[in-house]
Order: sequence, then C-alpha cells, then structure tokens
Amino acid sequence: MINLASRDVLHGWGKFLFTGIGLGLLIGATLTMGGVFRGMVDDGQVLIDNSGAELWVVQQGTLGPYAEPSSLRDDVWRGIAGIEGVAETGNAAYLTIQMAHAGKDTRVMIVGIEVDRPNRPGAPPYLTAGRPILQGHYEAIADERAGLKLGERVKIRRHDYTVVGLTRRMVSSSGDPMIFVPLKDAQEIQFLKDNDALVNERARTAANPAFNRPGVPGLLEAAQASATQAKSVNTVLVRLVPGADPARVANEIQRWKRLTAYTKAQMEDILIAKLIATSAKQIGMFLVILAIVTAAIVAFIIYTMTLAKVREIAVLKLIGAKNRIIAGMILQQALALGVIGFLVGRLAAGLWGPAFPKYVLLLPGDAVAGFAIVLSICALASSVAIRAALAIDPAEAIGG
Amino acid sequence: MDKMNKPVPAIQLTGLKKRYGTGDAAVDALKGVDMTIWPGEVVGLVGPSGSGKTTLLKCLGAVIEPTAGRMELAGDVIYDDAWKIPDLRALRRDRIGFVFQAPYLIPFLDVTDNVALLPMLAGQDNTSARKRALELLTALDVQHRAGAQVSQLSGGEQQRVAIARSLANHAPVILADEPTAPLDSERALTVVRILNDLAREYQTAIIVVTHDEKIIPTFRRIYHIRDGKTHEEAGEGRAI
Repeated sequence: MINLASRDVLHGWGKFLFTGIGLGLLIGATLTMGGVFRGMVDDGQVLIDNSGAELWVVQQGTLGPYAEPSSLRDDVWRGIAGIEGVAETGNAAYLTIQMAHAGKDTRVMIVGIEVDRPNRPGAPPYLTAGRPILQGHYEAIADERAGLKLGERVKIRRHDYTVVGLTRRMVSSSGDPMIFVPLKDAQEIQFLKDNDALVNERARTAANPAFNRPGVPGLLEAAQASATQAKSVNTVLVRLVPGADPARVANEIQRWKRLTAYTKAQMEDILIAKLIATSAKQIGMFLVILAIVTAAIVAFIIYTMTLAKVREIAVLKLIGAKNRIIAGMILQQALALGVIGFLVGRLAAGLWGPAFPKYVLLLPGDAVAGFAIVLSICALASSVAIRAALAIDPAEAIGG
Repeated sequence: MDKMNKPVPAIQLTGLKKRYGTGDAAVDALKGVDMTIWPGEVVGLVGPSGSGKTTLLKCLGAVIEPTAGRMELAGDVIYDDAWKIPDLRALRRDRIGFVFQAPYLIPFLDVTDNVALLPMLAGQDNTSARKRALELLTALDVQHRAGAQVSQLSGGEQQRVAIARSLANHAPVILADEPTAPLDSERALTVVRILNDLAREYQTAIIVVTHDEKIIPTFRRIYHIRDGKTHEEAGEGRAI
C-alpha cells in the first residue's frame, strides 16, 4: 500500500518544512525553558559538589551559607576538627557582589577560602589555567564566565587582585561565576566597614559614656579595635574520614557545638528543593503554557492541512479507502511535523542555549522525554483533524 | 449471465425513491425510478437541473441511502428498502467506478499510483496493482504520462486517468457525472468513444449523467429524468 502521508508531505515538502521549522522554533523555546531549569538545578549541584565538603556547619537555626546569611567565628573549626569522623575542615566566606570589569558590571560570587594548603574544602577542585592561590592576599582564581584573563588585575571593593588561576563551572546557585580569594580578604570584603563608616563608628563609640568609665582603662580602645576586625566566616566546610556517617557527625556537631550542620543530601534539599522552588514552579508554568500553545498550533496546522484536502479525502472515501487509512495519513503527517519540529527545536536550543546569560543544560534524557511529549501532543492534536476528516461526506466528491 | 445462462442486468432499479427531509419540508427527489442497464452498455442520463440526476447517481453509488425501492448490482440485491451490504465502502471500491466532472485525481500521487491506489485499497500488492494501472493507462493511451504528476497533465489526459482509475478494480458499473463538461467538443467525443470502447471490451455498464448536447446523440439508450421520475427512450447511437 502506498504511504499517502509521505507522498503528500513530499508533494508539498517546502510548505511542510517551513511549517515544521516554525513549530521547531517554538519547541526550541520550550526545550530551552526546560534547559534553564536544569541549569539552575545543575548550578546548585555543582556548587555543592565543587565545594568538596560533606558537611556544612553554619550559624544555628539558619539555612546558610547559600540560602540564608550565616555568621560563625572563624575559630569554631578547631572544636569541629576534634569531633570523631571529621577528617578536615575549611572556613569559607561567600558574598555576591557587583564587580565592575571591562566597562560593565558583572555579578560574581566572592568565595573566601583558606589557602594555607591546597585542596582545602572550599577550594576549586581543578584549574583550567594558571596556579592555585599561594599568597595570603590579593590573588584570585576566577571562573571563566567572569570574563577575566590570567594575569589580569581586577578591583574588588578596596583592593586590586591578580588573577592567578582560571576554573570552570564554579558558579553560585544563581549561576553567577565565582571568584576565589584568600579567606582574610573575603572576610574584609564582607565584614569590614569602609573608612568613613569606621571613623563615624569610632566617634560614636567614644561619645558613649559606657566606654569611658573611670577605672577601666583601655576599654574604649578595645571596643574600637574590635570594630576593625573581621573574624567571621559563613560556614565551616567539613570533609569526613572514609566510612564516617555524615548524619551522625552532623548530629554530634549540633549537639556539642550549638551550631547547625547539614549533610550533602540536606544541602541539596535546601539549594534545589527550597532555593529554586519558586523559579522551578515559574518555569513549570511556562512549560505547561508552551506545551498547550504547541498543541494548539499543531492542531491548527494539521486541521488546516486536512481541510485543504477535503476533496481528496472525499474521493478517497468514495473509492473505498477505509477510515484507518485516512486517519493514519493525518496522524503520520502530524507525527512527521512533530519530528521535524523536534529536530529543529533541539538544534535551535543547542545553538542559542550557550548565548543565554545563565547556564542552559540540555540533558539527553530530557530530549527523549521532550520528543515523546512532542509526539504525544502531535498525536493528540491530530485527533481534531482526524475527526473532521472522518466527518467528510464522500458525496462531496460527486457534488450536486 | 447467471447459472441458467440468462443475461443479468448490470444495474436493475425497481421503484427507487429518495426523500430529503421530513414533514412539510420533505422533498421527494426520486419518486420511483425503474431502470435496467446491461453489461457493455453506455446509457445517458439526462434531465434539467434539480431533476434528481445527482441524487440518483449518489443512490447508485451507495453514497446516500434511498428511502425505498430495490437496487440490484450484477444480480446481487444491494438495497431492498434497506442496505443489504454491510460494507458500502468496499462495495464502492470493488464494484462501482466513478468518473467525475472534474477528474479529482489525488494531486500528491503520480499518474500510475492514482490508478493503482484502488487495487491497493482492495488488498493487491503494489507490483500487481501498478501492473494493472499500466495496462489501463496503455488502453487509454496515456501510458507515456505514467510517471508524471497530476498537475503536469492536460484536462483530457487527467480525465483519461480518472477513467482508468474507475476501471482499476474491474467494476461492473461505472457512474460518470458530467465527464465531458470541462472538455471541448473534440475531447468530449474522444472521452465518449473511450467509454464506449471500454464498455464493450470489459463488459462494463456505464451511466453517463450529462447536459452535454454534443454527446447526447451518441447514446443508444437515454433515460430522461424529470421531477424524480425516469422514462426511457432510444437514442440516436450516432457513430463517433
């Protein structure tokens, strides 16, 4: 039996192809939306994975350090390091800032890490160029998406930093590229006030009678000195000894140190389930709307294509073609349109995805699921046209 | 011929009626049509607009259901106050050929496949269906356009292909609705000659609905239809 669908498609291939391309661009937008969501999840995942930590110790009762502010003294690691099962600790400070670079503002996450030895928790696990931070101050490792070059000097708040290393896919949960600097510098960037504020604060403190009590010499100086010290970090990253139970160690830290400790699974839950939950719902809504729009467009296209063949369908029915042959022709054309649309859409998403400011991750599994959904939508949408075709009276071929 | 060697009409209509609508709005399009057409005959069906020609053609073609009466096709009762054949589409496919005013070929199939489609729909394999199509295209002298697209054919060529299609399943009856309307005199007479040749060669009964004064004199028998009733008269049977 002749395949009527393929013959019809080949007969008007130009129109069919352009229709498929138009549909494909819409499918491409849908796939990209899905890719944006996957990118957000992946950003959260790489943030967790690349930190090299198995536990995150944060200020009690907070969801820090990524989802909520958290402040810890930078010496609490000593007590944590003594708990059974803890192999290594690393203080870390995180701060998202707007950095002026190459004449434009770039949003980056400043990460303060301990640089006394390599591979401390928090340090980037690999470099694509350059070397690790070796000096205690004013050196930086930047993610490639920050747009910095090796050896370039960049101003972050008060100081200039030399980019000594580059890394890749080190981003915040919002997709902002990370710039790693020594912990002391990050503490200053985050916690130290500017000079005007310090002068102002000193004057206020000096005017406070509580700090000028007779018989307590040095109190005012001590209070003023504390205002210029940055001794806080956002989290202590903990690496465990092999075989240690993360939940048990987290429990021990919470119990004895009055801090909150999160395991990797809990941190994934915070970053992926909680932090991006609203965005995920937003994107989900968009995907649903785009799926409905796609279905409506496919239905309209197939319906219009079918109505353009009323006479041919009437003739087919008159000369004895069974309903399944006619329905099969329309269904196959709808599916062919879906296949063309999907291929164009996947190609388009792959081409324009990297141009998006945020990471767009197109997973093969999502593509397979998307393909199945597109075909399902096309099959569903063709039912309207099939219904119309089956209602065509063969007498229309005779006229009268 | 039946088992007793008695000739069997290709079409036998007895008191065929068709009413559209009900109550006061009812219109009797056919008011008891009697008609007998023998194998190998080409019969004209003429009448003014609205006389019931197309309704009769649609009833004969099992496209619409008559209201009452009896229809026999090559000796088989297909309608007797109700359809006696469960699958009307198969009936049309296997036993009735159609030729329309416009050829209504399938534009996305080439000439051969337009003709071969019918045998394929009847379950023949592609090779034998195409072989049959080529035989018919040769008989109708359009074999040289076998691989062409429909849009590349002239009006006359398209009508020949449509005739070939109507014969593809060896239908004992062909219903032709104004087959010469879009053609000039010469081509119209050619089509009638072809129909006569095919009727003789394949022993096919052909009913030609027409207004065309050019071809009416060519029929040996003519059924006039007026106000839903037919009466038969002898035609001139002029040689083409």
